[in-house]
Amino acid sequence: MWKWKRKEKQQPEKQQQTKKQNGSLSEFIQAMQQSEDFVHYKLSGSTRCTISYLKTMSDSKILNRSVLSILNSESLHTLHDMRERIPVENIRVTSKLELIEEKVMFGYIMVQIHEKDEEVLLVPAVSLESRDVGIPEVEFSVVGPKEAFVETLNTNINLIRKRLPLPQLTVKETNIGKVTKTRVAVVYIDGVANKDNVETVEQRLKGIEIDQLTDSSFVTQVIADNSNSPFPQLLDTERPDRVVSNLVEGKVAILVEGSPHALTCPTTVVEFFGASDDYFLPWHLATAFRLIRLFAVIFSVLSTPLYVAVLTYHHEMIPGALMATIVSSRSDIPFPPILEVIVLELTIELLREAGARLPTKIGQTIGIVGGIVIGTAAVDAGLTSNVLLIIVALSALASFTTPVYQIGNTIRLIRFPFIIGAQLWGLIGVSMCMVFFIGHLIKLQSIGRPFFEPLYPLRIKDLKDSFIRLPFNKQTERPVLTRSEDTQRMNPSRVNAKRDIDE
Amino acid sequence: MNKLNNSQGLNIPENYLVTPAYVFFLIHSMQVGVGILGFEKYLVEKAGFDAWISILIAGGILHVILWMIYRLLQNGGGDIVEIHKSIFGKYLGGFLSLLFCAYFTLLAFTVLITFIEVIKVWVFPGMHVWVFAFVLLFLVYYLVSGGFRVITGICLISVIIGLPILLLKYFPVEAGHTMNIYPAVSHSIPGILGATKQSILSFLGLEFLLIYYPFIKNPQKSKKWAHYGVFYTTMIYLISVLVTFVYYSEEQLKQVVWGTISAWKIVEFPFIERFEFVGIAMWLYVVLPNICLGLWGATRIPKRVFNVKQKYMVIIFCIAIYFPTVLIDGRPMIDVVNNLSGQLGMYVLMYIPVLLVLKTISDKVRKRT
Repeated sequence: MWKWKRKEKQQPEKQQQTKKQNGSLSEFIQAMQQSEDFVHYKLSGSTRCTISYLKTMSDSKILNRSVLSILNSESLHTLHDMRERIPVENIRVTSKLELIEEKVMFGYIMVQIHEKDEEVLLVPAVSLESRDVGIPEVEFSVVGPKEAFVETLNTNINLIRKRLPLPQLTVKETNIGKVTKTRVAVVYIDGVANKDNVETVEQRLKGIEIDQLTDSSFVTQVIADNSNSPFPQLLDTERPDRVVSNLVEGKVAILVEGSPHALTCPTTVVEFFGASDDYFLPWHLATAFRLIRLFAVIFSVLSTPLYVAVLTYHHEMIPGALMATIVSSRSDIPFPPILEVIVLELTIELLREAGARLPTKIGQTIGIVGGIVIGTAAVDAGLTSNVLLIIVALSALASFTTPVYQIGNTIRLIRFPFIIGAQLWGLIGVSMCMVFFIGHLIKLQSIGRPFFEPLYPLRIKDLKDSFIRLPFNKQTERPVLTRSEDTQRMNPSRVNAKRDIDE
Repeated sequence: MNKLNNSQGLNIPENYLVTPAYVFFLIHSMQVGVGILGFEKYLVEKAGFDAWISILIAGGILHVILWMIYRLLQNGGGDIVEIHKSIFGKYLGGFLSLLFCAYFTLLAFTVLITFIEVIKVWVFPGMHVWVFAFVLLFLVYYLVSGGFRVITGICLISVIIGLPILLLKYFPVEAGHTMNIYPAVSHSIPGILGATKQSILSFLGLEFLLIYYPFIKNPQKSKKWAHYGVFYTTMIYLISVLVTFVYYSEEQLKQVVWGTISAWKIVEFPFIERFEFVGIAMWLYVVLPNICLGLWGATRIPKRVFNVKQKYMVIIFCIAIYFPTVLIDGRPMIDVVNNLSGQLGMYVLMYIPVLLVLKTISDKVRKRT
């Protein structure tokens, strides 16, 4: 039944498209003239022609210096002559309406000999307003490169290409979005990336049915293997160096025009807890920090649920001395632990949300005012206990240790089911919730590759760069996850060649 | 791909197969269930503190049965359903397969009710079983609907999470008396053999290999992993039994229903006491693979016999298990169910050699004709 409905829907679409094709160039110009920024006039110098362009999209320098000066000084009568003479690269002569429409909308200058001519000359004069390449703000690192992607696709590809001067680095582009026609690029290293992965990504991108694509996060949500999951199944990063190292591992990157984030896939849940910093530090330190981060995440998810579980059902578990502390801090509180926890967790979420929406400087103030003032006041008023305040604040802090922002959001959210589980059946409820999430993670896939790897399927080789990071000379092979066509990163025998004393 | 896949329903695509090493986790996590929490009592009743010998004997017997199962499957052309069909024909074979289905369901059911009983005795005496069982079975459904790979993953996680629990054995050893075990071998051989029969019940679960065998990539290579799995289980049982013997006296142990859980009570850290709550909560990870694999195996048999959709079967079986779970109450009834599944398991284990003999004979007869 659904297929039949879909077919019905598709038919009018086709009709629309054919209508568009039937329209003529003059209709297009008429439609464009309704906008104030569309310039359309006849040139009556030595060359007679009609020029039209969008003044908000075209670069006036190119127009004045290269196009108008030539047209005015020389007498040219055919479009081909003009193409020869005008000193701008990539000029086209075409009569394809679709191409003309697309190019004019991007800022090309259209030149016609007569106003009614179907054949036109298209001069690229695109002026792109873009921000300068800045420092990464979401994934900041103390050491290492400090370039971040910007909103222009070309600049972003430039940032990648200059780090990977390889002929095998392949960039494939498509336009996605019925209305926005956004440029989307798939980047991979040919011969290193697995062909199936590239194909899957390309197919999924082709299959996207959406009207607008304003950011790469749209792509994450639409092409995810399971779009009902709270876990992001594509890694998004604003660091070109991270994308490059992922490409070298054999992964595929997706870049979207207008988005300062690149997506890489296939990815695993463990990868979200790795930072670029890990590769800039000696491996023991990196390993220690990774483990701290992992512990922080576990703490962040489990601490308040455990508080609820233990204080509601299992008081016996707390040793006497510790119990005295907790009892004295909780003695005046009129609420059961669950209410206390939910109120405080929501307060923290509120602060976080407010802090994220406000400009940086006010945001900080709000954070401090909210955190300290509300926190102390709540304890003084006897609404929450000191112990819980510490736990909640710590778990909020711990959730910020994740280097990728997207997974931080997930961690914020998934502790609430745990809290409910804890209220229902104490520790057993917590562990039931945990089983559910582990099962969910095992089920998840990223571009058809297991998301819970290297834990399940257990791949010892990939564990070398997951919870721990072993030195580079131990990582002579690309991860099994990517199923790379060229598994060797470097020659292991040369890397690990043993030297004798004094040699 | 397996070359033995020649019949319909056994052509399992490569991406649903698991590598041979996972058989270790599948076998081990299926064997260890709720039994280990309190099986010492039943052993001691028969053989006293010599029961550890029975565990070793039982482990040895299980290795032999495992070898038989592999022999059976090697030339069997797939799983138990296929074997039954080739020996007994379509109808009798199908019926026997359905008996296996009932047995697998019963195993899952037994584990489920025993675990709920543990929770009721130790954590929440007034728990509403109907809510808890519903949520737990929903969880089981969610996992089983993910297919065999997900269940294997749960088995793996369960073994990994079970490891730290094993370290807790240190506390009772520290508090116990090692002299308890001596004198070694003071009981009669019938006593020890009786305890062997009891302990074999705790080893039940490897017969699931009969149904998930086609899901193993290069199944022949999984042999050694399966044997490692049984060996690992034997070792864990042996350690648990020895630790329990060190901790309790013989007379005391006969009174304790849940020996291992009672021993957890003495675990003490500066920030946590009464470790049995944590232990029981973590035991969910050990119990779930049992229920999931049990239900998966049980629902796969109707799929193979009648060619029905397994996902509907899982829902039906979950509902079918749900109501008895809610209705059953009290230790005596649970004991009855436990004994029943133990008896059936015993028959199943005894049936395997018979099946092997029949299979060999029928193969030979067929070769001649």
